[in-house]
Amino acid sequence: MSENEKQNRALLLQADFDQELDAAGAVKAERLLAGDARAREDRERLDALRRTLRRHAAREAAPETLRTRLLVQLESSNGQGRIAAGYCRFARPSWRVYAGSIVATIVVTLGLQHLVEELAAPDRFMPYVVTGHMRSQISGQPVDVASSDQHTVKPWLASKLPLAVTVVDLAAEGFPLVGARIDIVGATPVPTLVYKRREHLVSVAELQPRSVNYPEVPALRMMEGYPVVVWKEKHRTYAAISDLPPAELEAFVAAFRRAASKIESVPARN
Amino acid sequence: MTSDDARHRFTRAIMPHLDDAYSLARWLTGNATDAEDVVQDACLRALAALESAEVAHPRAWLLAITRNVAFTWLAKNRPRDLVLAGGAEDAETHDGASPHCDEPSPEAALIEAADRRSVEAAIAALPIPFREALVMREVNGLSYREIADATGAPIGTVMSRLARARALLIDGLGRVSL
Repeated sequence: MSENEKQNRALLLQADFDQELDAAGAVKAERLLAGDARAREDRERLDALRRTLRRHAAREAAPETLRTRLLVQLESSNGQGRIAAGYCRFARPSWRVYAGSIVATIVVTLGLQHLVEELAAPDRFMPYVVTGHMRSQISGQPVDVASSDQHTVKPWLASKLPLAVTVVDLAAEGFPLVGARIDIVGATPVPTLVYKRREHLVSVAELQPRSVNYPEVPALRMMEGYPVVVWKEKHRTYAAISDLPPAELEAFVAAFRRAASKIESVPARN
Repeated sequence: MTSDDARHRFTRAIMPHLDDAYSLARWLTGNATDAEDVVQDACLRALAALESAEVAHPRAWLLAITRNVAFTWLAKNRPRDLVLAGGAEDAETHDGASPHCDEPSPEAALIEAADRRSVEAAIAALPIPFREALVMREVNGLSYREIADATGAPIGTVMSRLARARALLIDGLGRVSL
């Protein structure tokens, strides 16, 4: 075998190993592996190397200090103009001094509150949503305004909160509207819509979309035994909770999003 | 003034890939502190660029920026590494994918038995172009095409660098305990 052939063979085996081949190439590699013991040995070595690298040279988590530095930069790039990329290279001896001034800057100019909300949501707020739902079930009074008519519920919420809440009718999907209530999440009153399926209630709280930590696609988690789905739309963040089976809650969320997106995509009235 | 929109897109699209960027920078610079500086610098560039650009593949994009910042850093702080890398580049054009063609190749079991310190040393000993291709593929999981885009090398070059990197590691790790 010439040097050139050897190299081509190695590259073919490697590309197969990396799953970079199209179907025709994959067949070629398969044939080579089937008919050539040395090729199989090469393949084994690649596998062994990958396992070793996974074990000893895995992706590392970026240190928290770096995350904090970036968040601070991000905040200050708002107030102080764009920062030239080279400017913030830290001189290492003065790192502590710098860290001190960073902390002082956050506290003085921004307050820690914002940062905490950025970092802690949704974990910080979800328990409020869960307790709101639990309380509504225990009290036997899940809604402050009982109506299956979205045109009653929406104005009622608008009269209580300075928000244009998206209220959708999901009766056709098997989730009739029951009404709405106001839950307190953190220290903020938020609108919560209540839907029904069979004898089960679904609460959907619309949260302040302040944090970036909310997932863009609905994410299911279990809290206190309840399935909770959290997701973010363009201008809103939602948390849905129910004693339904998780799959049915996810179906509800899908229906809710479909209906809401129809409303939101209606052209602006002007 | 960085716009809210750019900052928002940054936190949403770029921040999730910080671990990837850090790991790449860690292997390219060889130490944690410099890696942090490189990634921070890269992130600020990314943030500035987001003002005027839509990014289709944020992870590969951030890694490309990180790689470029790391190279600037290397040019300033480790110019010797880059010179050596140039030599390796020449070697890869005439040398085949396997460095020791005549000796029998090491056992897979030996490669797998290598300990952390020898793995780290073997990666650190790779010439930079081989090392970056290997890390982008095995640590960051980029495709050949993404590595080619990030490093500005043709895809064939990426493939042979990767093959050389792997052959060197297999050789180094497989023989270490003999």
